[in-house]
Amino acid sequence: MTEDILVDPLVTETAHRLFSEICDHESIQAAEAKGQAPEIWDAFAETGFPWISIDEDAGGSGGSLLDALEVLRLVGYHAAPIPAAETGILGGWLLASSGQELPDGITTVVPNGGEALTGSAAGTEVTISGRALRVPWARVAQRIVVPLVIEEQTVIASVDGAQCDIEPMTNMAGEPRDTVTFENVRVPLALAAPGVDLEAFRFRGALSRAALMAGAIEKMSQLTVSYTNDRVQFGRPVAKFQAVQQHLVWGAQDAALARMVAETAAREATRGVAQFEIAAAKLVANQAAARATKACHQAHGAMGMTQEYPLHHLSRRLWSWRKEYGGDAEWSKWLGKIAVSQGADRLYPLITGGSAALN
Amino acid sequence: MRFTPTELTEAELHLQREVREFLSEELPPGSHEPCLGMAARKDKDFSLKMAARGWVGMALPKEWGGSDRTAVDRFIVVEEMLRWGAPVGHHWVADRQTGNVILKFGTEEQRERFLPAICRGELGFSIGMSEPDSGSDLASVSTKAERASDGWIINGTKIWTSGAHENDWFVCLLRTSPMEDGNKHAGLSQLLIDLKSPGLEISPIPFLDGSHHFNEVTFNEVFVPDTNVVGDLGMGWHQNTTEMAYERGGPDRWLSPFSTVEQLLREAQGTDLEDTVTELFGELVARWWGVRNLSLSVARLIDTGEAPSVESSLVKEMGTRYEQEVVEKLVHLIDLEYSPDSDSLFERLLAQCVVTFPGNTIRGGTIEILRSVASKGLKGLPT
Repeated sequence: MTEDILVDPLVTETAHRLFSEICDHESIQAAEAKGQAPEIWDAFAETGFPWISIDEDAGGSGGSLLDALEVLRLVGYHAAPIPAAETGILGGWLLASSGQELPDGITTVVPNGGEALTGSAAGTEVTISGRALRVPWARVAQRIVVPLVIEEQTVIASVDGAQCDIEPMTNMAGEPRDTVTFENVRVPLALAAPGVDLEAFRFRGALSRAALMAGAIEKMSQLTVSYTNDRVQFGRPVAKFQAVQQHLVWGAQDAALARMVAETAAREATRGVAQFEIAAAKLVANQAAARATKACHQAHGAMGMTQEYPLHHLSRRLWSWRKEYGGDAEWSKWLGKIAVSQGADRLYPLITGGSAALN
Repeated sequence: MRFTPTELTEAELHLQREVREFLSEELPPGSHEPCLGMAARKDKDFSLKMAARGWVGMALPKEWGGSDRTAVDRFIVVEEMLRWGAPVGHHWVADRQTGNVILKFGTEEQRERFLPAICRGELGFSIGMSEPDSGSDLASVSTKAERASDGWIINGTKIWTSGAHENDWFVCLLRTSPMEDGNKHAGLSQLLIDLKSPGLEISPIPFLDGSHHFNEVTFNEVFVPDTNVVGDLGMGWHQNTTEMAYERGGPDRWLSPFSTVEQLLREAQGTDLEDTVTELFGELVARWWGVRNLSLSVARLIDTGEAPSVESSLVKEMGTRYEQEVVEKLVHLIDLEYSPDSDSLFERLLAQCVVTFPGNTIRGGTIEILRSVASKGLKGLPT
């Protein structure tokens, strides 16, 4: 154990209160229909929360990465329909680490920028072309950040949304995941700081999703406990039936597991190198999401299959987030290669020591 | 319910290194037939060596022969022993629960009589809970202890008593006064019983693979002195419930197949692994890392003086199912016709897992009972 790293309790309390006030079933539903939620975003942005963990010198709100991830956990818990991860620890981080200005409004990021787009550098400019898929909230973004490799260097392009053609698309939760076409878009050349590259970005994306998923699974588990205690059949709350208790217990276990791995990965990432923890956290959260959505839906019966009941805000997000920044196969392959390369005698030390055991 | 992430301190990491060094010397990797979890071989010499290091009954107070160590320290030792497949069978029950019960509820004389011997690794204990007609419905036990001068006369039968044929003592849950209507938890008491007592008959119940763990223990007018009553008369149910909290949620509930997985990697080293096998290793290390962190946080919670019965039931229910899932994944992916007499150690271990692991979700409280315990403690939406 090196020094203790703890979440600022004020962050938890304030974010929780804020979302409890502004993010209810109707507002989430409305955001899905409209493809945006300006009232929720504005209230969120006013607190400075989107830019936690980015230095104040760079235009951020200061604070630790751990605090930023705690906010994301609560975004997930409340199913807040806003690009919190994209504006802050992903897009904002890329901009700040390449010495570029942070916009006041929404920033998004091309999740697989380096693969989808081609870029060329000439003098102090970069020209980008190609079609990027599944860009979160591009339609309302002030800046679209593209991390890509040009001549073996990681370049962070900050593109004005108006310079691109944006076709609205969504994920399974109805969250904007737009197709963005870049046609010879020219922006100033900015290089990423050492240590910031496409791999680091991939891991950070996975870390953001693990935090969101931990929040969503926890809320889903609580919702299910409440519902089954209220719902009466055969003359008693269905939560009293052993067959239903099984689903409640399974949901609660996966909520605890997902939160544990997300918080542990967050702690290690705040300290420094945490590739093992992040990969493991995303994989465990993916699988926890699969099991927990199944258990919680089953316990809800038909009610959980309706739009009027809020379970789907959580379950549909979880099904979507499970596939973002690496599904089960990507991370189990990455972790499997590490485990196998460690060999039998180092296998358990890897489980207890994580990234630290790899040094 | 909250599982707070925790991590090992420098002193705890030091203990972990010490245990690893001890095991590297005693049981060099690849040189011994690993045991599969807590159903481990009984090797009294090994228990004595561990005890000499202060690792048996280590959380008990120094004045009773223990080391005043924490639940987390014990977690570290147990975790390393189990993942190594060490033969911890002799001292297992005494170390995990009986020592705690005697410390918490026993008399000074009982502490004096049993705790130092437990900490020296000398005494082996069994658990006397189930009866032929009382399994999951444990409060319905009917084995009777009737008042005699200076003690009790016991008649009845205990069943599934692991190791009774080799151990020295067992703590029995008995009915010391007749069942009252509507309050079956009353009238139960815990008694320390010498397994060599006259009138006590131990008969083997062969395990499905022919091995001998289980026994039926029959009491025929067995005399037990008053000095062997643990705690207050009639408080047996409460004490027994407390005892169960020590029994649940530890590494013994999720590490049992680890040696098998490790041995697969050892035997596969140098060969080209199929992608699906590599991915399986990835999946397993990630999940074990997550479950271990939950289980460790329960130990840390115990050290703050809490009795996390909901948390430990959740971990045990999940961990034991996970153990079976690991075996199923291995069986699914590894295309071999393994058997208990295969040349390969991995194959022998896997065969043993397949045959014995159905018991993992039954022993120490079935997962159905655990669900019922855990679900009562689950919280809904904050109001």
